[in-house]
Amino acid sequence: MNRKSTKTVFTLMLLSTMLIAGCGGNNNNAANNAANSGNTGTNTGSEAAGNNAAAEDTSPMTITFFGADTSPNWNNMQDDVGKAITEKTGVTIEAEYDVASGGGEDKISLMAASADMPDLIFAKGNLGKLIDAGMVLDLTDLIEEHAPNMKKLFSENMNRLKYSNEDQAIYSIPTNAGVNQQSFDATGGFELQHRVLKELGYPEIRTTADFEKALKDYVALHPETDGQPTIPLTLNADDWKIMITVTNPAFISTGLPDDGEYYINPENYEAQLHYKRPEEKEYFRWLNGLYAQGLLDKDTFVQKDDQYKAKIASGRVLGLISQEWEYQDAENALKSAGKHDYTYAHFPVTMSEEYQDHSFQQTGIDGYGLAISAEAKDPVRIIKFLDWMASEEGQVLRNWGIEGKHYTVNADGVREVPAEIKDRKVNDVNNFTKESGIGLYGVFGAKYGDGVKDSTGNYYTTSFPEEIVASYSDVEKESLAAYKATTWKDLFPAEDAFPTKEWGALYNMPTPTDGQYQVIYQKTQDIIRKRIPEAILSAPADFDKVYDAFLAELDKAGAKDMEAEYTGLVKQRVELWTGKDL
Amino acid sequence: MKALTENGVTANESVTPAPPTKRKSGFWKSVVQQKYLYLMSLPFVIWVFIFSYLPLWGWTMAFQNYKPAKSFGEQKWVGLDNFKELFSDDRFYLVLRNTLAMSGLGLVFGFVVPILFAVLLNELKGSLFKRTVQTVSYLPHFVSWVVVGGLVYKMLAIEGGGVNDLLLWLNIIDEPIQFMAQPKMFWGIVTVSDLWKETGWNAIIYLAAITGIDKELYEAAKVDGAGRIKQMFHITLPGIRTTITVLLIMSIGHMVSTGFEKQFQLTNSLLTDYSEVLDLYALNYGIKIARFSYGTAISMFTSVVSVILLLIANGVSKKLTKESIM
Repeated sequence: MNRKSTKTVFTLMLLSTMLIAGCGGNNNNAANNAANSGNTGTNTGSEAAGNNAAAEDTSPMTITFFGADTSPNWNNMQDDVGKAITEKTGVTIEAEYDVASGGGEDKISLMAASADMPDLIFAKGNLGKLIDAGMVLDLTDLIEEHAPNMKKLFSENMNRLKYSNEDQAIYSIPTNAGVNQQSFDATGGFELQHRVLKELGYPEIRTTADFEKALKDYVALHPETDGQPTIPLTLNADDWKIMITVTNPAFISTGLPDDGEYYINPENYEAQLHYKRPEEKEYFRWLNGLYAQGLLDKDTFVQKDDQYKAKIASGRVLGLISQEWEYQDAENALKSAGKHDYTYAHFPVTMSEEYQDHSFQQTGIDGYGLAISAEAKDPVRIIKFLDWMASEEGQVLRNWGIEGKHYTVNADGVREVPAEIKDRKVNDVNNFTKESGIGLYGVFGAKYGDGVKDSTGNYYTTSFPEEIVASYSDVEKESLAAYKATTWKDLFPAEDAFPTKEWGALYNMPTPTDGQYQVIYQKTQDIIRKRIPEAILSAPADFDKVYDAFLAELDKAGAKDMEAEYTGLVKQRVELWTGKDL
Repeated sequence: MKALTENGVTANESVTPAPPTKRKSGFWKSVVQQKYLYLMSLPFVIWVFIFSYLPLWGWTMAFQNYKPAKSFGEQKWVGLDNFKELFSDDRFYLVLRNTLAMSGLGLVFGFVVPILFAVLLNELKGSLFKRTVQTVSYLPHFVSWVVVGGLVYKMLAIEGGGVNDLLLWLNIIDEPIQFMAQPKMFWGIVTVSDLWKETGWNAIIYLAAITGIDKELYEAAKVDGAGRIKQMFHITLPGIRTTITVLLIMSIGHMVSTGFEKQFQLTNSLLTDYSEVLDLYALNYGIKIARFSYGTAISMFTSVVSVILLLIANGVSKKLTKESIM
């Protein structure tokens, strides 16, 4: 081997060593950074321990966060409310939200698998995975010691925060449902565009037959909207949204409250997949009839979430069966474009007059919430931050915004929202949310619901009768007047028509991740999401056959075992919450 | 690969003390003689070891009831339970059928069409036109499946979908077909969209191989009176036979581990019986419901089957054509 080639070889060697060294160097840097941030973590920790008053520790701190719902307007806390929060608490939230149709299932499963999660998480129905992986903190003591505001907020309801009868730890702070919430407006039910109502002379919309007739009559009069074919009714069957717009309405329209996939017999707490109720078969038969008549959009079970919203935003969909939050983005686009007669009215539609819409049956405190990672560097500081968010100051800031900018206080001490802000809240929602941050911090802390007044005698939230009416567009007011109502809620049966549910809202109840439950649940979900569309799309003569085969298939997949296990969980929950002995 | 690793390790050992033992076997002699070559390959051997062999440790999860929070020592060992459950699940066989069907179709069409395309493209004389066609045809390769999924849905839509419009205009159908609601059409749709996306890209390697064929062979054939078709069959195709065999063996090895992007992007709840492939099954019934061990068992199955398929394909090809990749 001659000299030259030896030299080349050595140069190559050197280069590759440098490469490797380079990588190593990076790692060291990363490690150092981690160590540094670790130090700052402990520093703030000791400071926090030094200062007894939580609010006084406002040294900068970053809390990482993952939210299982999408939040397209999130602005990295560069909005007015976000800046105010950072100023008051020193905390910056570094948030990541789920994408597409949301739910967080994939992301959270991976977190559980890799044992790597952010400091704070809003995990919705997937919290159980993190709990079973031992990745979230028991907050009982932290709340007891550092969270006076939260203790006041939940007071006698602390039991309802506990995970289960066997594991009485508090893993999450319910933040997506307000305490003592009184709803002033209805946002669910069946929806019809205001133009349909107006043209047809504001007919009574009480049963599915009324709803169907309205769709049929209007589309016959106006087969085209702005040059495109009018779509009488479309539903969203993309992933879990199929529950919101296709399967949940089956029990809503047959007089049941929302307990996720189950019907709970109030006498003996037996759980049953709600599809097995004969009443619901009739609901799906009704949808099947709509499809056969061409009233149900042909793309319903094929379209993706964004296509569904694009259709609504184009204004050519006459009716929806959904919840306002589910199609909100699309309706906001219509409002921004000034097409108010293409927005939707809400009706408590049921299969027949014998059923009542149970949307407003009280569930008590039961909601998805925030959990803190067991790896979080300074859980005390985080809980203090969350407690500040739950304070009166924090809640008013989150709901109302900045005083003098988003609301004013008049001589009588009453909070008022200026006309210009009101207008933007209705007509320019997305931009306004991005700039002001109002509505972006809802899940970052426990809160009172609508209708609860603070120490100054004002409502905590901006949703109270006068404000709601003020936020309606003229078209909406016209429709309401025609039905002799002030809000849509006036059309629905009120809270006091039903007793408070003893078992809360079961779609929030965590289920065991060990054993066969999840497997059977996943199998039944696959069957439901495949067979329900199939039944609706089948020829009306075949409907019974398809539906009965569907029910048989559910039992074959082990639905009975799953229901029995769920019954046990429901009973435990009732025991834990009410002290009954079952 | 195994031999390579051994060499790497021995090279590593022999370098540090560097004992020039001349009486050792021929192998050691060559190691010493080529020590710089061995040294140069060392980083890559380490790289392969770290990224391809170390993760195999994770396969132990398939024999445990794995819980993320526990350390390795605390995990509960369950033997072959996960595999027993896998092989007794009806869904698994359905999913296996879908996987094999779609990769089988992909293998047949995704293999023949690019070769045909490359050979035909090679026959084109005008070089500007040829280059344009080639570029245009491989561009879709760089479009992600997320976008392709959207495109396919748009093309096959009832309202304003290109395919339905075309079929209606040609009077082949009377009313639009809801393609994405027909489970039986799904395999075809996946194969065709895959063809659209990858034909141009896969043809590149054949075109490159064709350029390597000696031009004199063509001239000689011409002199002997062979037409263009004959030249294609007797010179071009045999000329790229080695390339074809290597790629065929490799794609057979990938038959059960095709990934899931296509199916994930194109499917909807009506189609699951025909669209769920092994990787999606591992996602839905493994990771998504926190059954990490079960998911591992599924992917272990696919890896083992892949290796077996690869070895069989290689063996068969060695016997029949004397060409192989190992």
